Amino acid sequence: MSIMPQQCGVRFDPPALVLTYHNHRGNLHRRTMPIRGFTKRSGITRTAESLVSNPRHRKYLENISRPQIEKLLRIIQEHMKGISLDETLGAIKMENTIDPDEDLNKLDDIALSRKKAIMDEDFEKNRKKPGDEGFEYEVEVDFLPAIETSGWDDQSDPEF
Amino acid sequence: MAETAPMDPENAKIDRENSVKIICLGDSAVGKSKLVERFLMDGYQPQQLSTYALTLFRYNTTVNSKEVVVDFWDTAGQERFSSMHPSYYHQAHCCILVFDITRKITYKNLPNWFKELREYRPSIPCICAANKIDVDYNVTKKAFNFAKKHNMPFYFVSASDGTNVVKLFRNAIKLATEYKENSTDFMDEVMRELDNFDELNLSSDSGLDTAPNSEEKDEKEA
Repeated sequence: MSIMPQQCGVRFDPPALVLTYHNHRGNLHRRTMPIRGFTKRSGITRTAESLVSNPRHRKYLENISRPQIEKLLRIIQEHMKGISLDETLGAIKMENTIDPDEDLNKLDDIALSRKKAIMDEDFEKNRKKPGDEGFEYEVEVDFLPAIETSGWDDQSDPEF
Repeated sequence: MAETAPMDPENAKIDRENSVKIICLGDSAVGKSKLVERFLMDGYQPQQLSTYALTLFRYNTTVNSKEVVVDFWDTAGQERFSSMHPSYYHQAHCCILVFDITRKITYKNLPNWFKELREYRPSIPCICAANKIDVDYNVTKKAFNFAKKHNMPFYFVSASDGTNVVKLFRNAIKLATEYKENSTDFMDEVMRELDNFDELNLSSDSGLDTAPNSEEKDEKEA
């Protein structure tokens, strides 16, 4: 039986994921999947894991991306802590973008690896590796002398 | 135990004479590991020394028709503890200082890294690398004064498309070997003397191994 997901959202109380989908006949259905035992302190990754591996829900969730499920769980959990939806969405957006002034040295392992994953997308996009057309081991480019300032050097700072 | 083999003192003794140590410094996620990996390409297995929170890459090459063993040291995230363990700097012969052209803060933090480096290694050559230029090639038209101010070579590089990576590392290896041969730093000279001792084939049970410790104690008591 094939499931065509349309929308996936949340119900706060009691916590549940709510999925609307078309079934194989094209009929629209809604399925509510309670998240049992979910608290302020539950691990998001683990909860997502147990949801998608739950035999009752598995086939409905297999076409929903893991990041989306985790994001929805996070929204429920932040709501339990009394944090508004807007605030949570803002925080999630911050985590998934690179702020050029944010000191990544201060992040924990999980937060840092999330940032690295975002940067890896650029890395992979422009990457030339052995076997790719035009790959050369030694790529030497002599750039012309600079014609403008970077704006990153502060004249008043003796270090730059 | 196999993973710690390269740090074994016996191996270290054999390698020390013709080996140089090159360290990478810079903020988290500026691409230090990716640069080393791009230079070495496949086939080089890094030695993960989790005990010391560092990654070690060993590379064999020839400089002026002399065989050289290069040890590249990578921080393995240790930069996040705000300063590196002193062993990271110990007997390094060259430093590659990396920042990310997409993140200003990584450039602004260069003086901190440079200062810490100079506390441990006042005179080793240092090279500045502006990484991730593939994200925006226009950046190569811009001036970054830090390197000039501190009189160090500067390269625009990309670990992603490979631009100037090989050039950067070849120059680092060259500077490291030159430094090792000509250094007048006191500790470096002591290390060279130790190499000469090794050449005399003194056996390890000659008592020399424990001598430095007892001298130290004597000094403190006196």
